[in-house]
Amino acid sequence: MNWGHVTAVAKKDMKGITSNIQVLIGLILLPLLFGIILPAVFIILVKTGNVNSMNIGELIEKLVTQFPAGEIKEKLLSFPTTEHQIIYMFANYMLGPFFLLIPVLNALMISLNSLVGEKERRTLESLLFSPIDLKSLFFGKLIATFIPTLAVTIASFLLCTIIVDGLTYSMFGGLIFPNWSWIIILLWVTPMLTALVIQFSIMISARSKGFQEAQQLGGVIVLPIIALAISQITGLVFLSMQLLLAIGLVLLLINIVMLKWVAKFNQRHYLFERQVH
Amino acid sequence: MRTSIQVEQLCKSYGGYQVLNNVSFTVEQGSIVGLLGPNGAGKTTIVRLLNGVILPDSGKMVLHGHNPVTDGDAIRRISGVVTEGAGLYHELSGVENLRFFSKLYDCYDEKRIQELLQQFGLEEAQKKPVGKYSTGMKKRLALAKAILSRPEILFLDEPTNGLDPDGVKQVLTDLKTMNELQGTTIILCSHVLHQLESICDKYLFLQGGCIIEQGSKEEIENKYLKQVKLRVKTGLSVNGGQFAGYAVQQLERQQLLFDLPSKDVISPLLEQILQQSWMHEAEIINNDLESLYFQVRS
Repeated sequence: MNWGHVTAVAKKDMKGITSNIQVLIGLILLPLLFGIILPAVFIILVKTGNVNSMNIGELIEKLVTQFPAGEIKEKLLSFPTTEHQIIYMFANYMLGPFFLLIPVLNALMISLNSLVGEKERRTLESLLFSPIDLKSLFFGKLIATFIPTLAVTIASFLLCTIIVDGLTYSMFGGLIFPNWSWIIILLWVTPMLTALVIQFSIMISARSKGFQEAQQLGGVIVLPIIALAISQITGLVFLSMQLLLAIGLVLLLINIVMLKWVAKFNQRHYLFERQVH
Repeated sequence: MRTSIQVEQLCKSYGGYQVLNNVSFTVEQGSIVGLLGPNGAGKTTIVRLLNGVILPDSGKMVLHGHNPVTDGDAIRRISGVVTEGAGLYHELSGVENLRFFSKLYDCYDEKRIQELLQQFGLEEAQKKPVGKYSTGMKKRLALAKAILSRPEILFLDEPTNGLDPDGVKQVLTDLKTMNELQGTTIILCSHVLHQLESICDKYLFLQGGCIIEQGSKEEIENKYLKQVKLRVKTGLSVNGGQFAGYAVQQLERQQLLFDLPSKDVISPLLEQILQQSWMHEAEIINNDLESLYFQVRS
């Protein structure tokens, strides 16, 4: 691996992110939606008593009673009102899966733009004619997806922290956000998920003819996240720290398996004959 | 002269379609070779195979002692390529494109980049995104990109497409100068045959994946020029379509076209014309590259 080549590709790709409006919108809109609007609107609605009509109170009460005895259940039962329980549950447990959409969608858009974009703009040919080895090329592209994705995710998390704690401090008399689950989401699940999305993008980009088609195929990866969010809300699955650690581990294993498959692309002639026409 | 490129019995097929069939040729180091042929003849495939970005079905290739199949990176380090599509990043400026590629070729040198931008008339537009460049400007930038690393072998696929006459002249002059000063071996693929005529040392005529003829212009001319058409500007008047035993026709006022059996008879014929009248011009009109190309293909 040539680090000079890796850095050159990563810098070039990161500069190119701003040129694709769809990627740029994702980088701005997703943090705004899941980091600010969703938590702010939900907390304000609960605080102003507008959730009774949505039956969320009943749902939370049911969830709390279903909880296994332990620290979280004690903590929830110690709150004076259902509104406190709803906000605490929402901020620390239910928001997580939605928040994961920020790295997933951004990593997907950035990596697809980077991989399919080279093919669409006919620059892949120039790259493959240059003396860059494919490991350096892919690693450069991986970094160019990882850095902006993680930066946006962390920025979204900080914004979310300010919003949640800012809106709930007076109600709880202290900071309720984040808990340890969030730290695991940020530092363990997000990087694993981002790596998986990048590998998934490499797989898609090899098969799709253009960016639009790749996006449609890539949309599939969002479905497990949505399923996780729904499971969490309905009480089907509770994203405890142990479960989050286990999810990260499973993602790591899938990453390792996929890496072997993606390694097939580490052959210049295979990539050239399939991608350059 | 040392051999720069040696190709023997090269075959390549895509999905059952034979693109190259037993192609063999050699290129001397420091020469300029024109790769000629219609679309689909296999010119681009040869360039790709020689750079090791695709693999042959069979055959042998050696470039400066390296085999593209097993040692492609070594070849790519000493070669520069201009593809038909230019292969530039439209969102980056001209200078940013050159900086990026110079890093990939491990030859980053800001002075060299500025020299090339100046040489190709892109100094003022260097900070503009390449997406806003004209076709000619993109082509010139692609050429600058290809010679950034002072390559030992340069592959140019239609390098003058999209250039205006001044641009074409400039590029051909630059290529010739580079070839003479640095001894760069140049492989040129082009449809515009008259442009190649002034700079190529050797030609490879490709058709349907096979090399149907190769050699210098003189060699090809000697082989294929069976009848010489000589245009003469003279005050001579001819009657009956014959002069000195050769068929002749009046083209326009003071211009005659002779059909001659070989170039050997030109001098005696001109002497005879001068004995009877004045003569200002004499030119063989069917030995240009394009005419030879069609004769080879026929």
